[in-house]
Amino acid sequence: MADIEIRSNYRITWCPGCFNNVILNSFEKVLSELEKGGKIDLKKIVVVAGIGCHGKISDYLNISTFNALHGRAIPTALGIKLANKELKVVCFVGDGDTYAEGLDHLIHAARYNVDIKVFVHNNQNFALTVGQSTPTSEKGFKSKVRPEGEREEPINPLSLMLASKASFVARAFVLEKEHLEKIMREAILHKGFSFVDILQPCIVFHNTARFISEHAYKIEKPKSFEEALKLSLEWDYNLEEKSKIPIGIFWSEERETFEEKEGIEEVFYRRKKEEKFDELIKEVIA
Amino acid sequence: MKMKINVLIGGKAGEGIDASSQILAKSLTKLGFYSFVYRDYGSFITGGHNFNVISFSEKPVYSHELSFDVVIALDENTIQIHKKEFKPRCLLISDVETSYRRYIKINAKEIIEKINAKPIVKNSIFLGAFFKAFDLPLNFLLETIKEKLKDEKNIEAAKLGYEYSRKVEKLQLPKEKKEKFFFDGTTAVGLGAIYSGLDIYFAYPMTPATPLLHYLSSKREKYGIKTIQLENEIAVANAALGASYAGATCMIGTSGGGFDLMCEAMSLQGMTEIPLVVYFAQRASPSTGMPTYTMQSDLKLALNCGHGEFPRVVIAPGDAKEAFYKTIEAFYLAYKYNVLSIILSDKHLAESFYTFDSFEEPEIKVENFILKNPKSFKTYSLTQDGVSIRSVPGEAFVKVNSYEHDEYGFTTEDKKVAKVMQEKRMKKFKALEKEVSEKFEMAKIYGNGENLIISFGSTKGAILDALPYLKNFRFLHIIYISPFPKKIVKEEIERSKRKIIIENNASGQLGSIIRENTGVEIEEILKYDGRPFTSEEIVFNVKRWLSGRY
Repeated sequence: MADIEIRSNYRITWCPGCFNNVILNSFEKVLSELEKGGKIDLKKIVVVAGIGCHGKISDYLNISTFNALHGRAIPTALGIKLANKELKVVCFVGDGDTYAEGLDHLIHAARYNVDIKVFVHNNQNFALTVGQSTPTSEKGFKSKVRPEGEREEPINPLSLMLASKASFVARAFVLEKEHLEKIMREAILHKGFSFVDILQPCIVFHNTARFISEHAYKIEKPKSFEEALKLSLEWDYNLEEKSKIPIGIFWSEERETFEEKEGIEEVFYRRKKEEKFDELIKEVIA
Repeated sequence: MKMKINVLIGGKAGEGIDASSQILAKSLTKLGFYSFVYRDYGSFITGGHNFNVISFSEKPVYSHELSFDVVIALDENTIQIHKKEFKPRCLLISDVETSYRRYIKINAKEIIEKINAKPIVKNSIFLGAFFKAFDLPLNFLLETIKEKLKDEKNIEAAKLGYEYSRKVEKLQLPKEKKEKFFFDGTTAVGLGAIYSGLDIYFAYPMTPATPLLHYLSSKREKYGIKTIQLENEIAVANAALGASYAGATCMIGTSGGGFDLMCEAMSLQGMTEIPLVVYFAQRASPSTGMPTYTMQSDLKLALNCGHGEFPRVVIAPGDAKEAFYKTIEAFYLAYKYNVLSIILSDKHLAESFYTFDSFEEPEIKVENFILKNPKSFKTYSLTQDGVSIRSVPGEAFVKVNSYEHDEYGFTTEDKKVAKVMQEKRMKKFKALEKEVSEKFEMAKIYGNGENLIISFGSTKGAILDALPYLKNFRFLHIIYISPFPKKIVKEEIERSKRKIIIENNASGQLGSIIRENTGVEIEEILKYDGRPFTSEEIVFNVKRWLSGRY
């Protein structure tokens, strides 16, 4: 399988210089390393994407992909994993996609600890619909809808994920590429639900590259859940002079997965199907 | 014996009338009768007034009536509410004070105290009393109680009820005591799905589809199926598409409101061409409506759900047995043609019990139509009939896409490709339609009069029971709504003198579909109060219509 080109020939239509490219390149690199190390089989990777700029990633990959509905990549991925537990299911979602439209699914998938990997391309705005604010846009963010600036406080997806019992919680930043790749690798290899909020400034509608570079710092994985939660609260996604933005793995633990709890032992499509008519009609004999 | 005996069992929610109705009907079926059980209950767990009707006869019976030969009243309220529906010689079995004459009064309290049982055994006491009143062999009742109820006190209770009762009339037993099948529409869909190789049933609880979630959950171990309840219907529909994409045979189930939430995913089905079977049990009225009551008002919703244009199969079985076979067809078509199959049921079909003589092995054999380890693979390969054989991740690289896409599944906005792909998706339905019209029963004709009643879905039962009382009528039951049996319907209409459509909704949805497909406008008898038609009502209304007074 080593000869498979992970990248497709599809022409990239992200804006020139878009940081989505970093996520794509990092993912490609991590996959190919893991594959060379015999840790994964490319034939058994499925990428599920939502809708937004990030979603184009599925066209740029030559492996199995499911470009799902806006906000619904996570339940789609859950279904895939249930049907075939041998698959490694990776979701690429956006901040509008998963924190607005599909937030319910994110919380529940974390709670179920379904073994899927969720990478959020968080550019703190809806870029594909030209720059409206999302739940993680900072207070004061100016858009065509709110020229006077966003009025609401942003949500804190890291705290939310910790409170929702996600078994792997991390934050990464596209301008720390090696660090991002390390987190991606660990997230993919983690058994259970992995969540990574990737800060990915939007060079057209919300260029926070400089701000985040100046305020981000790498962390060591906290020793306790309480410490992790406290650290997650250090940055509230507002952009303030005093902001400190911790990046790195906040929390990881091994817990029984959704598929294990469900007692799924087989890969369903390989199951032998046979008609059980005689047995079935016995169920309804008066 | 009389054509049909109607027994009412009424009481408060939680008093056990549901179990006792099934026990009575099943015991009668074991004795050789055909029985039908109708459930009428509100949205409460305890209290209120619920009632069931058990209609039974020596001849097949497919519906209930609301004029009673026997009333088993667990409370006084039942008598007050249904007094007007007592037939002149109606027999009452109860323990309440009443001046009603034809009454077997059983002191249930005394029996319960005597055997130190829970108050709910009152049901079994009254069933015992019923068996004595009609001089029926008690052991048939006791056997069914043993099968259905855990508390052994019920046996003692039924015996004492029998003892305390008196014989009113001897009910002639049917001569033939053949093995029969007794089940509801929910069980039928569940068994059809298991037959079809169901792997995972995804659902979010919603009346009246919930019983299927419960039924399949009770069969998990036995048949190796999974039932997954997720956070909402949106998750349910999308997860099922994910699972079906990865090779599991899946079904989802819901009622109106949940179906609305799933519509976007149905449209995703149309675009991605991932097989999906939907069990849609209709309730009454818009919005939350009347959750525990019935209507056939979501026919057009099923036909039109999801944005964009894509084909779908919509099948509306008319009784429990039909629901079994049609569920199997729904699976077969979804997985062979990569389409959406909707099994359109309703509260009346889902929760009513029917009796049948026989059960023939289905002709369809189970297959999941998956290409194993193909040398080269394109998810949406263009073929003669528009059907692309699917594969699954692990066997091939499978790209599916909610955006318009090319043969491989890559996003496209190219006008030529977009046109070809839209045509491909529509074309495969032609192939499907051809197979369905050759192999499956899309509509069925009953009787041979020169006048015609047309209907669909669960209204079938009441019409079949009304037919013997309507001179010169035949009945066309439409089972497939999409693809629509245009030819059969057109021909039947053309060769009939007077024609009437009967359906359980306010706007005449079947009528408008018939008009769309045949160009013929037909008069309608409609009902939309949340209750199913009874045969008496149909006879009455058809006669009025014939005389120009409807």
